[in-house]
Amino acid sequence: MQIPGEEALVERARRGDAGAFEALVVAYQSVAFRTAFVIAGNAADAEEASQDAFVKAHRGLGRFRGGEAFRPWLLTIVANEARNRRRARGRRAALALRAAPEPGASGEDPEEAALAIDRRQRLLTAVERLRDDDRDVLACRYFLELSEEETASVLGIARGTVKSRTHRALGRLEEELR
Amino acid sequence: MNDLELELRDLAAHLDVPPAPPLLSVVVARLARRRRRRRMLVLAVAVGATALVVAFAVPGSRATLLRFFHVRSATVTIIDKLPPLTSHRSLGDPISPNLASFRLLLPSGRRPEQVYAGDGGYWLRYPGLLLFEFESGEGPQILKKAGLGTGNVEYVRVDGEPGIWIGSRHALYLPGGPPVAAGHALVWQHGPLTLRLEAAVGREQALAVARSVH
Repeated sequence: MQIPGEEALVERARRGDAGAFEALVVAYQSVAFRTAFVIAGNAADAEEASQDAFVKAHRGLGRFRGGEAFRPWLLTIVANEARNRRRARGRRAALALRAAPEPGASGEDPEEAALAIDRRQRLLTAVERLRDDDRDVLACRYFLELSEEETASVLGIARGTVKSRTHRALGRLEEELR
Repeated sequence: MNDLELELRDLAAHLDVPPAPPLLSVVVARLARRRRRRRMLVLAVAVGATALVVAFAVPGSRATLLRFFHVRSATVTIIDKLPPLTSHRSLGDPISPNLASFRLLLPSGRRPEQVYAGDGGYWLRYPGLLLFEFESGEGPQILKKAGLGTGNVEYVRVDGEPGIWIGSRHALYLPGGPPVAAGHALVWQHGPLTLRLEAAVGREQALAVARSVH
């Protein structure tokens, strides 16, 4: 997924156009932060990781190969930064569900709404129980909705490994949910 | 996509992910700081614990790093904007030449009017000539700056050893002190020592003096 005119922006940024790089920061700051947050699990680390990633991306623009997509390249840096922080903390902060409205408040069946919340919580708990590499591949594919190719780039693994690891992780998740 | 995958997609929409903080201003500020640090680092290259920085005054107000010249203990950094200079210079404490920690080299064997210990080396004062000697790798390193288009900085050889000639009015920076106005200078290696000669002479004359140092 590219923003319109991304290639030209990247090229201008590579030539030292500060405004072009700023446009890239604005375009990708949300996905960068979200990626960092999903991996690191807390906002402070995610913010720091995103900032560092943009600074490193700016520094590495000379190595960026023209014609490639900028987003996966950037997210790879973001993910590395986020993983470094997670590693430094020694443990991963678990993701949480957004506070839900009172069951039934939005007109739906209160019992069904409560069940849905419970099911989501169980699912999230199960995801968080997975080992890091399983959890990360599911987070990339389903929480961040990255393509297999982007996931491969972000996690630094082969595309085939993304497929097999996703399959394995889904299997383990099903076991957790039983 | 099976049910579990669909549930995971649905779960994503309910995750408590805070909105992204505005990163642009912080990133821009950090990049600006980094550029400033890089400029400072470039200027600090080869400057040791006690640094000597010599810079050239040139017209205009450009403030960019233009070129480097380097020998083992001296780096000439060509820039084109100088800070305000002072003409006051303290050479250190007057000492007897016999008290120097290494054998001082003298132009044509002539004894200096006075020797001063300071700035990590020894200043030898002669009429119209100032010689600074220090041990390479321990004493100060020298960094000089010259202006765009000036042909006044060049590599030279002094008895086969590398050196740098700066044929322009320049400023001398001593650690912790303000930049000091200085004249033409020649910096060169001499065995384990680095020497800096400053005098109101031309290149050939300076080289002749340097070759007579032993």
